[in-house]
Amino acid sequence: MAEPSIFFAEVNERQGVFHRRAFLLGGCAGVGLVALGGQLAHLQLIETQRYEKLSANNQFNFRMTPPPRGLIVDRNGVVLASNRPNFRLMVAKDKGMDPAQTIKTLAEFVPLDDGRQARLLKDIANAPRRSPVQVMEDMSWEQFSAINIRAPELPGVTADMGEVRVYPYGGAFAHVIGYVAKVNKTDLTPSGPNADPILLNPGFRIGRQGVEQAFDLDLRGKPGAQKVEVDANGHEVSTDPAGDIRAIPGREIVLTLDADIQNRAEEVFGAQSGAAVMMDCRNGDILCMYSGPSFDANKFVRGLTGAEYRALAQYDHKPLFNKALTATYPPGSTFKTLVALAALENGYDPATVHVCSRAWAWGGRVWHCDKAHGALDMKGAIAQSCDIYFYQCALTLGPDRIAVVARKFGLGEVFDIGIPGQKAGLVPDTAYKRRAFKKDPVWHPGETPSMGIGQGYTHLNPLQLCVQASRLANGRKALHPRLIKSVGGVERPRGSDFGDLPFDPKHIDFVRSAMAAVTVVGTAAGLSDMGLGDIKMAGKSGTAQAFNYASGHGQHGATGEWKFRDHAWFIAFAPVDEPRYAMSVLVEHGGFGASTSGPLARELLRIALLKDPEIRARVEKPMPIPQAPAPQTDPDVVDPPTPAERAVDDAIRTPIP
Amino acid sequence: MTVSALTRPGERDRLIVKIGEIDWIFCLTLCLIAGAGAVMLFSIAGSSWTPWAGAHLARFALFFVVMIVLSLVDLRVWFALAYPIYGVGFLLLIAVMFMGHHALGAQRWLQAGPIGIQPSEIMKIGLVLALARFYHGLSGRSAQLSWWLIVPALLILAPVALVAKQPDLGTAILMLLTGVIVVVLAGLSWRLIAAGALALAVLAPPIVMFGLHGYQKQRLTTFLDPQADPSGAGYHTLQSSIAIGSGGLLGKGYGLGSQSQLNFLPEKQTDFIFATLAEEFGFVGCVSILLLYAAVIFMALRTAYLSHSHFGRLAAAGVTATFALYVLINGSMVMGLAPVVGVPMPLLSYGGTVMLTVMVGFGLVMAVRVHRYSEVTSGKGSLL
Repeated sequence: MAEPSIFFAEVNERQGVFHRRAFLLGGCAGVGLVALGGQLAHLQLIETQRYEKLSANNQFNFRMTPPPRGLIVDRNGVVLASNRPNFRLMVAKDKGMDPAQTIKTLAEFVPLDDGRQARLLKDIANAPRRSPVQVMEDMSWEQFSAINIRAPELPGVTADMGEVRVYPYGGAFAHVIGYVAKVNKTDLTPSGPNADPILLNPGFRIGRQGVEQAFDLDLRGKPGAQKVEVDANGHEVSTDPAGDIRAIPGREIVLTLDADIQNRAEEVFGAQSGAAVMMDCRNGDILCMYSGPSFDANKFVRGLTGAEYRALAQYDHKPLFNKALTATYPPGSTFKTLVALAALENGYDPATVHVCSRAWAWGGRVWHCDKAHGALDMKGAIAQSCDIYFYQCALTLGPDRIAVVARKFGLGEVFDIGIPGQKAGLVPDTAYKRRAFKKDPVWHPGETPSMGIGQGYTHLNPLQLCVQASRLANGRKALHPRLIKSVGGVERPRGSDFGDLPFDPKHIDFVRSAMAAVTVVGTAAGLSDMGLGDIKMAGKSGTAQAFNYASGHGQHGATGEWKFRDHAWFIAFAPVDEPRYAMSVLVEHGGFGASTSGPLARELLRIALLKDPEIRARVEKPMPIPQAPAPQTDPDVVDPPTPAERAVDDAIRTPIP
Repeated sequence: MTVSALTRPGERDRLIVKIGEIDWIFCLTLCLIAGAGAVMLFSIAGSSWTPWAGAHLARFALFFVVMIVLSLVDLRVWFALAYPIYGVGFLLLIAVMFMGHHALGAQRWLQAGPIGIQPSEIMKIGLVLALARFYHGLSGRSAQLSWWLIVPALLILAPVALVAKQPDLGTAILMLLTGVIVVVLAGLSWRLIAAGALALAVLAPPIVMFGLHGYQKQRLTTFLDPQADPSGAGYHTLQSSIAIGSGGLLGKGYGLGSQSQLNFLPEKQTDFIFATLAEEFGFVGCVSILLLYAAVIFMALRTAYLSHSHFGRLAAAGVTATFALYVLINGSMVMGLAPVVGVPMPLLSYGGTVMLTVMVGFGLVMAVRVHRYSEVTSGKGSLL
């Protein structure tokens, strides 16, 4: 270290060392600062894009905005299922948040009992960080605003506005439209549409029944996203509307139903159990499909309590069941219309007369009728619904010929109406017997008479009977029922585009004239008058055994224990002269078809007719002077007219005062 | 009127001459840095003078006056007070052990009425003064290698041990490094320096393993792998890097730094204010500030270089070393090059204690400049 010095050797040496080392220190500091500059350049110039992305990830969150669920409307645009605002209260785990204290504070604003508080705390503990747990929904505006004011002091608490499904008509459409409910664990699938993360949104509801279930994906829509700026604690600072991705609302579904008819069906059924289906017999549109008693679908959206669910599930009138599709019953005497048609198609002379003396011995046993009708031809037998006539008529045809005709009328068929739950029922024949009964595969002649009066193996649902009535009323087209008119503006195929019926129009006309007689002089005499002037209704009643009388349980009529009474059927169409609407009505254990179901059918058809502008014009114009009808409009197709037939014809043409 | 070694002694004692001798460019540079700090604090508070920017400027103005006053204090007074200041600081450090104010698990403060005293800050200046005072009276040969070196070793290690015990690792390391730098500048033998470096390399791992508190160890492991737990211990480092990196060349704009404005950046007004600056003013802003710091260091070191007295040289260089260490440690920490230790960016960060220390230190540096031709005599303390 020694270096030559001029004077003050000692001092100068210290100074020289210091100067050199201070220079070194300055150099070190300089190197350090340059290194910092280098790191800055690395972060800010080379890797800046990566950090910009990380910064943006910090700053912006995308919050999913659930899409509005598609509306369901009736044929006239009346809203049957829509969405209403729902004020929800949610809590998410957050920095500096004490769940127990938060819940306790919230309980001052909204009712939360101790059990609910304990459950919520568990939910919050199990939820992932920042994923919200719903504390309450459907808060009142007062609750919502009170909490929103306090929210800044309550970390993790958000009160927002979501949407909830609402069914303005409560019960009338519950079976057709179904309902939406909370997502279950079983709904979530690893792939497919139900893997969508939107299902995890606490406000999301999944379609459970009817249209809501069948068209769930159409109704769901596509979720959007809201770009929000958040701070380090995840609190929303501001929104950035320019960065939002708009939610695509679910598709609107237009039903063929008519809300007025459907609502009237709910009214006229009251507490009775059963179903009513009405179709436009020109194009197959289902105007009414009601199953009673019904339930309030809105309760399912909220979630039923155990007691509420048990009350519905255990009630013997089975309100959760769509009886129009899912329940099958013996068609009873309504089936005689098709037995008659099968007979005509097979060359049976409608003038054939059988004498009914209330009992008829055949095949080693006695076959009964409900009264002694005396001598009847085919038209009279339909009008009076004589069992003994049709026992014998069916025997001459055999089961297979009847089954072929019945199936052409949609019986035993499952239609593509868009919603699930149809039971096919059964139209039996010898092939069925061979298939289903391994021990006794032979069709015994003794089974044919029962089939002839719509009992025995035959089981059908109300939709099928409505299709039958519609095809009879139309006479030409093999109408298919249509329930979904359009999905998202795309029209579904019309029910009239499925080909024609392979029957002689004269034969169908004959059956129709017999049905016209039913409501004038037959079992349902008097029901033809709808209070709409010259617009009349034709129909056929059916009273189907719910139990075998021989077992001692079965009860004719409306007496005895409810669950053993007969099922009451009525199929009908109107107007008689130019049919537009056809329907089937079933009242479970309702007793006589003509007296229980007939008036319901007439009332619902009356509503449909009154809503039809052409019919209305016809009703409201002054009554024309009665004239003798022209011969070519005579529905009689079989010559020569029998005395019974002539009586019926006269009865139809007699104006009712 | 410029003074020189040949100016008459009485002339140099005139107040107006002394004031003229103060390095006003140096002072202006300090003002620029403190002003930049105020600008950033104004932005962080959401364009508000409260709670930080106003107080920052007010303090700086006060401490600036203190600095000017101190710069006029004769270097012989500093010389005479060197050991007493060190002694008082040491006694206060011992006092803080027994009756210090607990804050965040550390015992660093003495509460005297409304004023909180942090003895370790007094000690930063006191240590530099004591070492300079000691070496002033030591021959260059003894400073290289002699038994006399036990004295500076004790002068350094005793307060460092007390501060580390508080625990305040950042300040302890800062004081240790400052002391070592002064010893080296005073002429320590290179062989001893090499031996010391070797010993440090051998002893450092066991000290880290057994001598550190849990949180200190965690900071160190976090520094070695900041991505290991991004929302936990590595959070500070990661968010700071994001703030700096996302600033880019020109920054996001004044008041638009999302990392700091939305609180992603921790300690944004104190230890991590440099990251805020980097985010809003980008590379250009950062380099400008670093250049200001470099200028301060250069000018202070030049003052040490110009001093005629060994005491003045070492005192000025020691203060400069402390300041440079602040800048480098804080800069490395903010940029993810060093573990997170509580060392602020001097003059830029909000906080009165460190600003006072730095300004008093610069007062000493300016005193050295103003009295650079003064002989402080041979170290016998003849003035008082």
